[in-house]
Amino acid sequence: MRAVTSVGVLVVLVLLLAGTGLAVDPGSGDQLSAVPFDRTLTTGLTGVDVERARESGYVIPRGQVFYSQYKYVVGYYGTDALVAGVTDPQQTAQFGQPLAVFVTDLAGTEPRVTDDGYVTLPNASAPAWTRAEDAWFVVGTPARTPAGPMAVPFGDRAAARAFAEDHDGRVLGWTALQDRVEDDDAASDHQPKVAARHRWADRAVDRARAANDRPVSTVVGTDERAVVAATERLSASTNRSPSAVVLGEDAPTLDAVVDDAPPNTTVRLLPGRYDANLTIEQPLTLTGTGTGTVLDGGGDDSVVLVRAPDVAITDLRIVGVGDANAGELEADDGSAWDRRIRLAYGYGDAAIRLRDAHRSLVEHVSIDTPSNGIVALDSDGAVVREVEVTGTAGFEGFMSVLPMYSRMVVEDSHFDGGRDAVYAHYADGMVVRDNHVENVRFGFHDMFTSDTLVANNTIEDVNTGLNVMSRPSGNVVVGNDVTDSSVGISVAGSASYVAGNVVVNNEVGISIGTTRSTYRANTIVGNEVGVRSATTLPTNDVFENDIVGNDRSVAAGMAALESWAVDGRGNYWGPVPGVDRDGDGVVDRTYDPTDAVDRSARHSPLANALAHSPAARLFDQFQQAAPGLRRPSIVDPAPLSDPVNPDRIPANDTNSSRTTNESTA
Amino acid sequence: MTEVRPLLDVAERELRTVVRTPTLMLAGVGYVLLVGGIGWLGGTGAYLGLVLDLLTPVEVLVPVLSFAFGYRAVLGDRESGELATIRTYPVDGYWYVLGVYLGRAVAVVALVLLGLAAAGLVVPLTGQPQLSVIASHATVDSVALYLRYVLATTLFVLVVLAIALLVSAAARSTRGGLALATGAVVALAVGLDGALLGALTGEGVATGAPASLLALSPNSAYRSLVFELSVAPTGVVVPDGPTALLSMVALCAWVVVPLALASRLAWR
Repeated sequence: MRAVTSVGVLVVLVLLLAGTGLAVDPGSGDQLSAVPFDRTLTTGLTGVDVERARESGYVIPRGQVFYSQYKYVVGYYGTDALVAGVTDPQQTAQFGQPLAVFVTDLAGTEPRVTDDGYVTLPNASAPAWTRAEDAWFVVGTPARTPAGPMAVPFGDRAAARAFAEDHDGRVLGWTALQDRVEDDDAASDHQPKVAARHRWADRAVDRARAANDRPVSTVVGTDERAVVAATERLSASTNRSPSAVVLGEDAPTLDAVVDDAPPNTTVRLLPGRYDANLTIEQPLTLTGTGTGTVLDGGGDDSVVLVRAPDVAITDLRIVGVGDANAGELEADDGSAWDRRIRLAYGYGDAAIRLRDAHRSLVEHVSIDTPSNGIVALDSDGAVVREVEVTGTAGFEGFMSVLPMYSRMVVEDSHFDGGRDAVYAHYADGMVVRDNHVENVRFGFHDMFTSDTLVANNTIEDVNTGLNVMSRPSGNVVVGNDVTDSSVGISVAGSASYVAGNVVVNNEVGISIGTTRSTYRANTIVGNEVGVRSATTLPTNDVFENDIVGNDRSVAAGMAALESWAVDGRGNYWGPVPGVDRDGDGVVDRTYDPTDAVDRSARHSPLANALAHSPAARLFDQFQQAAPGLRRPSIVDPAPLSDPVNPDRIPANDTNSSRTTNESTA
Repeated sequence: MTEVRPLLDVAERELRTVVRTPTLMLAGVGYVLLVGGIGWLGGTGAYLGLVLDLLTPVEVLVPVLSFAFGYRAVLGDRESGELATIRTYPVDGYWYVLGVYLGRAVAVVALVLLGLAAAGLVVPLTGQPQLSVIASHATVDSVALYLRYVLATTLFVLVVLAIALLVSAAARSTRGGLALATGAVVALAVGLDGALLGALTGEGVATGAPASLLALSPNSAYRSLVFELSVAPTGVVVPDGPTALLSMVALCAWVVVPLALASRLAWR
């Protein structure tokens, strides 16, 4: 046989084999079937909503999506989140079109709607899955999830109709449902949110501080002459005559004094040491003269219990706090889904415990504690400000401020030692600003807490500066400064906004664990790893950050390629290969901070020459297409040529060699 | 069927010539290594990613390889006087050109397939990090996309080789052949698309222009075919239009017409 025939036959055989590629339809999701929900990458409703529903047996409809360009199955809590995940252009650009969508099928489970609007399944059946295009959704009924109205999905039209008739709803198909849900651009512009939350905090502070103006009804001291003198001075200046109480003579304990004081007045404590395990059960202002007034709990139990709204504790020092970090797990305070957390964390010993103490104020108080500083339960509008909490060295102590179920303000305070400076548990909307934190585990520890404002805090020498966990949403982290810590800022959850923060000299600057969130105008300098991507569902906007002088600029995530730019503006990485030809401040070349050559182009002449080669440009061209199918990496399609906040970057990090020489000279 | 024998004789002779030319073999090995290298350098774990990575380099490298293999085919015979001898045999011009084409095509296509196979191995052989606790599925990415890409690329190789033979038949001297070949490669890789780009820069022209303009540039027709066959099924947004059929017809025409012209020129 001739050579040309044999080679030719071989070539034709290979081509025939390749021809089978035409016979397959790769775009079909017909063979896919639903997977157990706990094996999906979950997003949608917040962790707290899901936990509450689970504990109470409420149904939250769920969905799962198989995207054409993402190998992991994405799970959604709530039909709104599911629809957004299927229709959001940013999401489909990242992960491709949905190959298959499955939703909870409530047909045959006889769902009931409670008086609160929650949906329960009386016969405790586990709902199955059905394809979304075969499903029918009942809308307009009272049925809801903790997040809002709910479209109730059924795999069977008759069941949907029956439910709709029982509850005055209407039945929609999958396409109609998608058309109905309007675009949720909650994540787009956050500036108004920041201002509004500051305004709320300002109002809360003003309201709580009004307690400082209450007339003095009682002057308390341990030395009779001092008490009399102080009382006389007060009567002369204010034209009132407060009662003078010498402790041990006129009243047995401080507890008895605050019980007897008329409501809405001030009890003034003269300098001295007071044995105190007291309970305040009426609106009252308890004020000292600064650190000279010491409340001593004797090392047992909490020192001051506040059980009424509008109480103020100001200008004094608290010591002798008991050392029990946790409360009794056997107790019962009516809490449900988070019973363990609430009982364990909410009832440890504390210098001040606020319970149902709305709008109460703790101001100018200095605390030494082996356990908690201030614990707040169910105390909305409470304010902690200009407080100084000194905890234990090491992490044996507990939380400096521990808000639970309390939308409160913590500001202008100093926290040193103990475990977490502020540990928030289900304290939606709280504001933590202008504090100084050092030597703790976490500066701000967010558990199940959404819509917070964490602003302008200065944090150093901690494990994690700001740590948002447990999938909350809508948190705003702006203008904070975290240095010399293991992790600067670590955020989980969704629809959050992290901007204008400065993270310097940490092991990891910012750790991104969120979905659909914004990271903008942060200054990330001199960390071992500048930004770590820790999300498995990369849908964040990361742009206009200054990421310079870190040992490694970024650590890629586990999931897919991420593209960090918005509207043609990426991040500032220092000098990168490429030039800005048109002077618009954007370098005309993609920068890949996870790529070995791009990364070392600044220091290695070889890498620099290679990075400018046509070959390198060629490879970059299609790099960002089909990101969900790519190896985990990070690219910046529009690196900035100039820093966004040049004044925040140390001089030797903007232009390495020259300024280093100058500074050593 | 009497013509098949001389056709295969000519093809066999061409293949042997190619195999016995060390520089051509070197170029072939270089091509395989280059394309394989690009695949491995990209290190993508998906066939779609691989197709997109290879598209542009291959589009440039295939003309270079095909012209290296093709531009001296007829010209060499003419210069050595063998063409004059062959003309005395009872063989028609188009059977001779077809035989030359077949012999060279077998070699070039084999090399291109080798290169694509080398690159294609990167996907099954690269371990992707995998989150084992999370359910995963096959996604839209499949080897079928790559196989379609291989088919389209083969058609493109045949087109470029046909043009190379035309150049070879038209040239009357080595120097002229080299100049023509270089010009043709540049025209294919840059020139024709450049001309189209230039024609379309006017306001509103680009969206309104008929898709059939694609037929004017083999590279664009090929690229469009790849988008249609391998990229569009994955949900990457590609403009709609009957471009697959159009591109196929255009590419086939780009094979037939140059070969027909070449057979006229060869015997002249």
